[in-house]
Amino acid sequence: MFDYYAPSSLGEALNLLSSAEDAKILAGGQSLITLMKLRLTAPASLIDINRILELNYIREEDGRIAIGALTRHDQLVTNPLIRGKCILLAEAAGVIADQQVRNRGSIGGSLAHADPSADLPTACTALNAELKATSKDGSRIIAVKDFFVDFFTTALLQSEVIEEIRLPVPSSRSGGAYAKLTKGHNDFALVAVATECSLDSGGVCEAVNVVLGGVASKPTHAFETEENLLHRRIGDSLIHEAALKADAGLSLTADPRVGQSLKREMIRAFAERTLRMAFLRARGAA
Amino acid sequence: MAREVDVEVRVNGRAFKRRVQSRMLLVDFLRDELGLTGTHIGCDTGHCGACTVMMDGVTVKSCLLLAGQVTGSEVLTIEGVSAGGKLHPLQQAFLDHQGLQCGYCTPGMILSSLFLLKRNSNPSEDEIRKAIDGNLCRCTGYWGIMKAVKVAATAMQKAPS
Repeated sequence: MFDYYAPSSLGEALNLLSSAEDAKILAGGQSLITLMKLRLTAPASLIDINRILELNYIREEDGRIAIGALTRHDQLVTNPLIRGKCILLAEAAGVIADQQVRNRGSIGGSLAHADPSADLPTACTALNAELKATSKDGSRIIAVKDFFVDFFTTALLQSEVIEEIRLPVPSSRSGGAYAKLTKGHNDFALVAVATECSLDSGGVCEAVNVVLGGVASKPTHAFETEENLLHRRIGDSLIHEAALKADAGLSLTADPRVGQSLKREMIRAFAERTLRMAFLRARGAA
Repeated sequence: MAREVDVEVRVNGRAFKRRVQSRMLLVDFLRDELGLTGTHIGCDTGHCGACTVMMDGVTVKSCLLLAGQVTGSEVLTIEGVSAGGKLHPLQQAFLDHQGLQCGYCTPGMILSSLFLLKRNSNPSEDEIRKAIDGNLCRCTGYWGIMKAVKVAATAMQKAPS
């Protein structure tokens, strides 16, 4: 049994988080409630933040897209600003589980849960997200590369809640794409690749992130692929060559569901597929 | 202590108020407290969609929500889908086109289909497939379900309710 609290303001939630015994934040609950039912976790107190409506928003401000932590996956899929400027995020959110889960699950909850096979941690890593973590003593900004620490482990302190996710607004010559391999339809990823890139006016790659999900304890950059593309004029053969290095130096975590060689092949194939699509979109051709 | 919660909710247009244990799931609340047993429990782990209901206009799995979380909300269950003693066009189409065999998944299928048709009045086969991918039919009667949703979409366009 647990104590259930449903505060209607963030301040109230933060006070409860520091005062209630063994408290856990309940966001969309699409992972937490299942974990509790399976007796994998048993917090003494649940602080339900779903009544804190001020945590649900998507807006562009100060050169970034700010997303409230309680924004539902389905909102990421349908929001015109996200679709127009961060199609990678909309694509990743659109293949999470099923409609019912997307209607309820939240971006803050997914990031805090830090399942290395989940879609939004991988996508947000490729988008250079920053997380605003807030406790009753104030807020701090955590870069996504410092946020994910290990399997289901983040830099978030017990006293903190994710308040907002910030994405730098991609330039007009940017594009992204997401691909994942699953066992069942819209399941957790066996392998996922999130790619975001931008070109300069001459068609040279200005920035590129190729991030792998489901392959390690946290989202992992395909560094060699990125290095091969950066500052070079992008063409199909270069993309192909670079994608072949997407699993270079990667030690895969054991996965009983799929063999390592298939996993490596899919990493390379998805790297190529998402890079092609991302650069097409960056050129405004798709 | 907060081990008990007061749930105040409107279900199918009627207001209810109950005090329940904090751990009670919405699906158990609907079935055991309100006697609305049309909402089914299939897997209890969030996979099968048999417990799908609408909460404030969007589909959710009632086995992945606590009863306490619906306070102040409007919940629609399968019992509230028909009106005035007449089946909803979706229900009629499921009946006419063998959209159900054992019927266990049907309430969830209908709620998910209803959500789809609210957003997209003329869905393609692919769109229907995607809209019900969170609802499992262990009889594997998907063709009948797809047909029923398609027919209902046409019927509802002709006679918007």
